Amino acid sequence: MKRRGDDFYLKQALLALVITTIVFFLPIGAVFLRAFSDGRAFVSTFTDRYTWKILGFTLWESTLSAAISVLLALPFAVFFSRYTFAGRKAILTMSDAAFALPSILAILGFVIYYGNNGLVNAALKAISGGRWTVKILYSFKAILLAHVYLNFPVAFSLITTSLSSMPDKEEQASRLLGASEIKTFFKVTLPKVWGMVLATFTLIFLFCFPSFLIVMTLGGNPRYFTIEAEIYKRTYTDVNPAASAALAIFSFLVMTLLLVITGYGREEKKVSRSRRVLKKTKGNSKIKAIVLSTLIFLFMAPPLLSILYRAFFTKDNEFTLKAWKSIVTKSRNGVSTSLNSILNSLFVAGTSAFLAMRMASSIAIGAVRRKSRFIPLLTSLPMAVGSVSLGLGFAFISARIPSRSIVLAYTMVLLAHIVCILPFAVRTIMPGAKRIPQRLGQAAKTMGKEDRDIYRKIEYPLLKAYRRRAFAFAFALSLGEVNATLALSEGKVTTLPILIYKMIDQYNYQGASALAVILLTIAIVVFAIGETKGDENGIS
Amino acid sequence: MAYLECRNLRRNYDAFNLELNLDMQKGELLSIIGPSGSGKSTLLSLISGIESVDSGSIILDGVDITDMAIQKRSIGMVFQDFSLFPSMNVAQNIQYGMKTRDQGAKDKRTAELLSLVGLSGYESRKVFELSGGEAQRIALARAVAAEPQMLLLDEPLSALDAPLRKKLRTVIRHIHDNTGITMLYVTHDREEAFAISDRILVMRGGHMEAIGTPEDLYNNPPTLFAATFTGEGSVLEQYSKTLFFRPESIILDNVESYDASQYLKLCGCEVQSVEYAGNGYGVKLDYKGTIITAFTAKRPAQKAVDLMVKWDDIRQFD
Repeated sequence: MKRRGDDFYLKQALLALVITTIVFFLPIGAVFLRAFSDGRAFVSTFTDRYTWKILGFTLWESTLSAAISVLLALPFAVFFSRYTFAGRKAILTMSDAAFALPSILAILGFVIYYGNNGLVNAALKAISGGRWTVKILYSFKAILLAHVYLNFPVAFSLITTSLSSMPDKEEQASRLLGASEIKTFFKVTLPKVWGMVLATFTLIFLFCFPSFLIVMTLGGNPRYFTIEAEIYKRTYTDVNPAASAALAIFSFLVMTLLLVITGYGREEKKVSRSRRVLKKTKGNSKIKAIVLSTLIFLFMAPPLLSILYRAFFTKDNEFTLKAWKSIVTKSRNGVSTSLNSILNSLFVAGTSAFLAMRMASSIAIGAVRRKSRFIPLLTSLPMAVGSVSLGLGFAFISARIPSRSIVLAYTMVLLAHIVCILPFAVRTIMPGAKRIPQRLGQAAKTMGKEDRDIYRKIEYPLLKAYRRRAFAFAFALSLGEVNATLALSEGKVTTLPILIYKMIDQYNYQGASALAVILLTIAIVVFAIGETKGDENGIS
Repeated sequence: MAYLECRNLRRNYDAFNLELNLDMQKGELLSIIGPSGSGKSTLLSLISGIESVDSGSIILDGVDITDMAIQKRSIGMVFQDFSLFPSMNVAQNIQYGMKTRDQGAKDKRTAELLSLVGLSGYESRKVFELSGGEAQRIALARAVAAEPQMLLLDEPLSALDAPLRKKLRTVIRHIHDNTGITMLYVTHDREEAFAISDRILVMRGGHMEAIGTPEDLYNNPPTLFAATFTGEGSVLEQYSKTLFFRPESIILDNVESYDASQYLKLCGCEVQSVEYAGNGYGVKLDYKGTIITAFTAKRPAQKAVDLMVKWDDIRQFD
């Protein structure tokens, strides 16, 4: 069949794709060049048993983290998708917000809450007269716990949403035929959600595979290094860029393979319009609701609340505003390091999220209108590269540029952030683009309108809610980004999480907490903006 | 010369081929009816340019539009699902395709069109606040506002309930009569087609089965398929011919004296069911295993009856 008038959409997407390709393939090309510049390092990386050992550990920690997160989330999700009760929405919103939670906050929260001198141990010591303590941090279980902490809400939220959108007629039929609740779950419900559970597992696995910051700070031992952590170590501790570049390529190949395997055969199912009616809790189910909600709250809230506590109280529980005062204290150049990092974060996150959102809109609509599977695949390629590796690539490029200007440093950071967040922005907008009926465009064309006009006046405004969500998500991701910024900017561009990371490194937990409260506040505000209702004119 | 000419139009699919010639006069309202998959909507898609033809040509007012882009054809379309733009209010939807840039003229025309579809004062309404019937009226007004040379309507009323369909078909005819616009109207509801059309095209398997005025098609259907598709009737195999007659042609009363050569008489029919329809009775009869449908003013008095049909009212097919 002949196609008419789709060229506009191709051009729209093409511009964004060209930019993505350049900012993605340039750093990757730089990494490749560096790796091949030293053939020996390249060969030895691929043949070294140590490389395979790190790969083994990385696969193991991601599998375990994803499996625990999903298995823990499943019973909670089943209950939350069946009943309605006071506080249900708040818990679900809190879980949604965890998508945007910067990992540095989890790390800081863990250090303050679970640390050897943390609040848990302080409480245990107080109860037992100093006899009881738990050692969680700086171990494999700390890495797992942090991964589960960040990803349990993701699994819980995704599976609950998926389950809630499925009509429960089959379950009702099963119960009417005399099957028990457990039999119904295993024979009817689980087969229905199995695809979703697997997709959630895969997503979390892919989040945990390039884990860097958590491994570096909470693992506390090179035995627990992931590939990304090892790349960082080789670059900045061993000062062996060729070896780190070779490992980055190794990581890229493994991640691409994983993406291909996990992406193979995945099909989007159409969600039924008839939703299930949630039951009101009473009796036993009411008690279950209270217990489950409390468990989630007790798991999620304390590390974050302990950050808030530490921002205002010393280790000896004395109230102080010292950390806050230092944020507003002027340094010699007029702005404190903290304030400077806040402004940097807002600028970098705001700019990169805006650009990523604009590019993602063009890419998503272009891909849908052209019915292209290649375009989304190309834009998800950056997911196959850990952000440390990307940062490394940009660092190689900037090393080749003679200028040492601060503008160049900011540009590189912005580009690195855009590459990292674009796949997520595209994925956020894509469902919206798919939901715009093609009929609207056809109707407009029968009124004599061209594609450009249809895109500008009809399709783009319809994506408003999705664009806002994509902007918020991209902003949050950029706001919490540490890996690429750390690997790239060599201290020139200090963002909020970078400064928090440095303060944690210097055991300045109070200063880190004050900044973390600011970071958390910004993240919450942005999340709230992303979730704002009131887009009744658009599709949502 | 015809206003719209579809010459040797051809579009092939794996399981279905459309082949058709069609002429329409300016200002005509032609309805297309036919079973599902007969190619009604495909024909509209080809004329509008949503789909492209494999061969043949489409001429509109002397201009060959076969390979023209949708937006250049000046053919409006109204869809079953309304397809109103959700990001715009009613007035913005209607004004979207208007040719003038003068906002005053746009507002005036909007008010006129809203009045034409019976929704005056709806300008600032949001489209998702509209009922199905209101939304379709706005879609009609929007399509007319773009001043197309011709309007295609693809089952515009099938998403609505029966009373609303009846009301809106009158609105559509009213718009047609007021604007004089040439309309091609696809429907699966033959009553709707009969009610509003100047002519009706019956399609079957991608081909034209019959075309004519509603009266012509009802009274003198050219094929048995056209006969059964355009209304109820009974099919009887007699004298190695297929006979077809409408329910209202059947006489169930005992007529004392009549000219036997003018009537077909079927003796010994058994009444199977009688349904009261307000203005008469729908009667199902069994004649030697063939079910006959009759419509009479009186309820049959006996279980076994004789029936008569005037030969003039019987269509014969080979």
